[in-house]
Amino acid sequence: MTVMSKIEPPVLAVRDLSISYGPLQAVRGVSFSIAPGEAMGLIGESGSGKSSVAYAVMRYIKGQASGEVHVAGQDVMALSEQALGKLRGRTAAMVYQDPMSALNPAIKVGEQIAEAIRLHGRIGKALAWKRGVALLERVHLPRPAEIAHRYPHQLSGGQQQRVVIAMALACDPQLLIMDEPTTGLDVTTEAVILDLVNELRRETGVAVLFISHNMGVVAQVCDRVGVLYAGQLIEEGTTEQVLRQPRHPYTVALMRAMPAIDGPRRRLAAIPGRLPDLRSPPPGCIFTPRCAMATAECESRMPDLANSSGGGHRSRCHYRDEVALRLPPEPLVAEVQLVEARQERPRLQIIAVSKQFRARPALPFMRGPAPVRAVDDVTLDIPPGRTLAVVGESGSGKSTLARCVAGLIVPEDGAIRLENEVLDPLVQKRGRAAQQAVQFVFQNPDAALNPHWTVAEIVGRPMRLYGGQGEGKALRHRIIEQLEAVKLGERYLDLYPREMSGGEKQRVSIARAFAGRPRLVICDEPTSALDISVQAAILNELLALQRENGTSYLFISHDLGVVRHVAHEVAIMRHGRIVESGPPAAVFGDPREEYTRNLIAAIPTLERREAAPALLTA
Amino acid sequence: MSGVALPARRRIVLPRLGVADLAGAAIVLGMVVLILAGASLSPYSATAFNPMHSLEAPSLAFPFGTDEFGRDVFSRVLAGARPTLLLAVGAAALGVALGTVTGLTAGYRQGPVDETIMRFMDALMSFPGLILAMLVVVMLGPAPINVVAAIALVFWPRSARLVRSIVVDLAHREFIEAARSRGEGASFILFRELLPNVLPIIVVDFSLRVTSGVLLAASLAYLGIGVRPPTPAWGLMVRDGQQFIEIAPWLVVFPCLAIALASIGTVLLGERLRHRLALPGGGRAQ
Repeated sequence: MTVMSKIEPPVLAVRDLSISYGPLQAVRGVSFSIAPGEAMGLIGESGSGKSSVAYAVMRYIKGQASGEVHVAGQDVMALSEQALGKLRGRTAAMVYQDPMSALNPAIKVGEQIAEAIRLHGRIGKALAWKRGVALLERVHLPRPAEIAHRYPHQLSGGQQQRVVIAMALACDPQLLIMDEPTTGLDVTTEAVILDLVNELRRETGVAVLFISHNMGVVAQVCDRVGVLYAGQLIEEGTTEQVLRQPRHPYTVALMRAMPAIDGPRRRLAAIPGRLPDLRSPPPGCIFTPRCAMATAECESRMPDLANSSGGGHRSRCHYRDEVALRLPPEPLVAEVQLVEARQERPRLQIIAVSKQFRARPALPFMRGPAPVRAVDDVTLDIPPGRTLAVVGESGSGKSTLARCVAGLIVPEDGAIRLENEVLDPLVQKRGRAAQQAVQFVFQNPDAALNPHWTVAEIVGRPMRLYGGQGEGKALRHRIIEQLEAVKLGERYLDLYPREMSGGEKQRVSIARAFAGRPRLVICDEPTSALDISVQAAILNELLALQRENGTSYLFISHDLGVVRHVAHEVAIMRHGRIVESGPPAAVFGDPREEYTRNLIAAIPTLERREAAPALLTA
Repeated sequence: MSGVALPARRRIVLPRLGVADLAGAAIVLGMVVLILAGASLSPYSATAFNPMHSLEAPSLAFPFGTDEFGRDVFSRVLAGARPTLLLAVGAAALGVALGTVTGLTAGYRQGPVDETIMRFMDALMSFPGLILAMLVVVMLGPAPINVVAAIALVFWPRSARLVRSIVVDLAHREFIEAARSRGEGASFILFRELLPNVLPIIVVDFSLRVTSGVLLAASLAYLGIGVRPPTPAWGLMVRDGQQFIEIAPWLVVFPCLAIALASIGTVLLGERLRHRLALPGGGRAQ
């Protein structure tokens, strides 16, 4: 941890910052400061206002802001447009979540960096290019001189993000604002980027404001952490204090909702309720309606963000020193071993399935690029009522495999067998019974539901299509029953997808999958687009439905923590092949393969890692 | 129970009507009335000669003046709505319907089906609209149904292209994959899953096609193709009136005004419909 002197003026001082967008009070009274060379993390779920705070530091916001923001002694709120232009990039620079949209696709990356350098210092083109190449080397891109000549689309996601970081470093800023810089990246790539950030901090002394929803990621980089909820800073302290001994029930709830790769296996605890209406926030503590230890006082009086007994650890809770005592303990679940299930005949068998993708040649009659083996001779099976998780990084072929099983993609080779029946590779040619038996839950709840259908139409469709579940009133009753099974109710019947939150949409998606009473449900990253607290609820729901209906799951994920909580069996996939498989306790506890070990080592946990595993070249 | 709370109660949002919406609605309503009953609303016969009053300027008796045969221009404009507008609406409906089905199919099926359909559409589109329409009417004969077919043929590839461009994007969305994995047939996916999502665009497209249909029908009539005198079609009236434009400009001005008004009305209403149809639940257009 960086040692900082208290006398030095902070690089960033935010005092009583409030931001509203029309009637919506997105941020209320947020104060914090960052010392030179320090890294501060802001944790929050969607709607917490964390990005608004980050953008306010650069005065990039559209809403009305009040309060003070000082960057390196300058009052950002009072700066002229011209002075602001100088501040942005030179004193403080920003790294965005999606590198692809932060880079201009039509300009070579070297030129983009040179442009950033020339914008703030009057130097020649050639020299700027040279410095750009040096910066690319600084962020450890292999063969920087060559990479400078490439266009963004010719680089991988991790390489693009490193180019963006190089650009941010172009003018030696004192403050780096990183808004979810690793969210779209694979864990191994993420680990490399996090190491890079740590190294840059050590060597250049740049201060970092790090925005993230992932507590593990924040723990890897930050000295101090602030937790935002519904626009308020509800807890602040050193990383160790906040993540190890949280003093606010919301932080505790977040930790309990986070699936971990280490430690004893727990039941994930979802946070009940949803964000309060920020157009008219309640007068008392904003977390009261969802808090397990709320009292009458919480409802009437808003607690201050005050020091708890530990030094420098602030929490906005009346009972900040008694959180650990007052909250109910968290339930543990025993590790389930799957010996007896082995004898059963598998419900689904994937037998030697292979799928190649051929890219089209650049010109007709020319030879095209070599085909990509997306799925390469994969054989797996799933017992009834059990979950097989297929884990891999992007491009490993796991989604292609899922679509082969669903009959959406036709494999070149191999067979899919459901109990006694070999399924036709194309879903349209399968019999109704086979279509009904296999259902799909998609990753992105926004895209998976037809925006012009009501919930009743969406959930009722499989029932109508497959029949046998009544009509008219009886069907309506079945739809309500199905909605109640995923903890939604009758009042959702006439809603359209856009009127629901992400978690609710995913519940509708799950209800639709179960409406046909399937024997196998394919879940393709069902929670990766959701907040941690919602993810916990959805995973619990899936587990409950499985227990009730004896459904088998083919669970596709990139998140080993999630997999550990739902899977009876895990298969690690890389470049289209299954590298390793077995029960999670074995695969995670004692991985046989180098790749699995690296994958596990790369996962950001609350424990700070010294250096990224060696294999990573991202 | 988590992540679940009562969703905001659904409010019935009354559409806020502006002057433009009211004007659009009024004009289109007027058009409908004229199509249904234009001739019977006319104060005089639209076709009977009346040499006593030839080429009179607008007056109380003849608000739009009279033509060289003494026919009341006001009556002729009212009666002319049906031959002009019916052609335009019919052609727009047929063209957009064909275009929608083709566009949906091409966009959803993709691959060789898409290529074949769209290259055929491109071929159709390579003809200038008016020339293609003239060609068809000349070949098939001047019956009104042939004029409708000719104009629809002009609209077809343009609508198809528009619909296809949206469907190509939608076809990769997960709700279409969900429908396929459920085992839905192609026609269900086309008309139940995809169609509602392109409907707002189709409605706007239809209104614009009616507009250009009015113009195309008028142009054809003006060129003497399709409608025959003495039918009081607006385009035909402009054509017949232009020889007197210096001494009797009202012969040209009022039919032209009618054409312009009809075009503006359909565009205004189309815009309004686009906003209303964009997304259920009070959503606005993209």
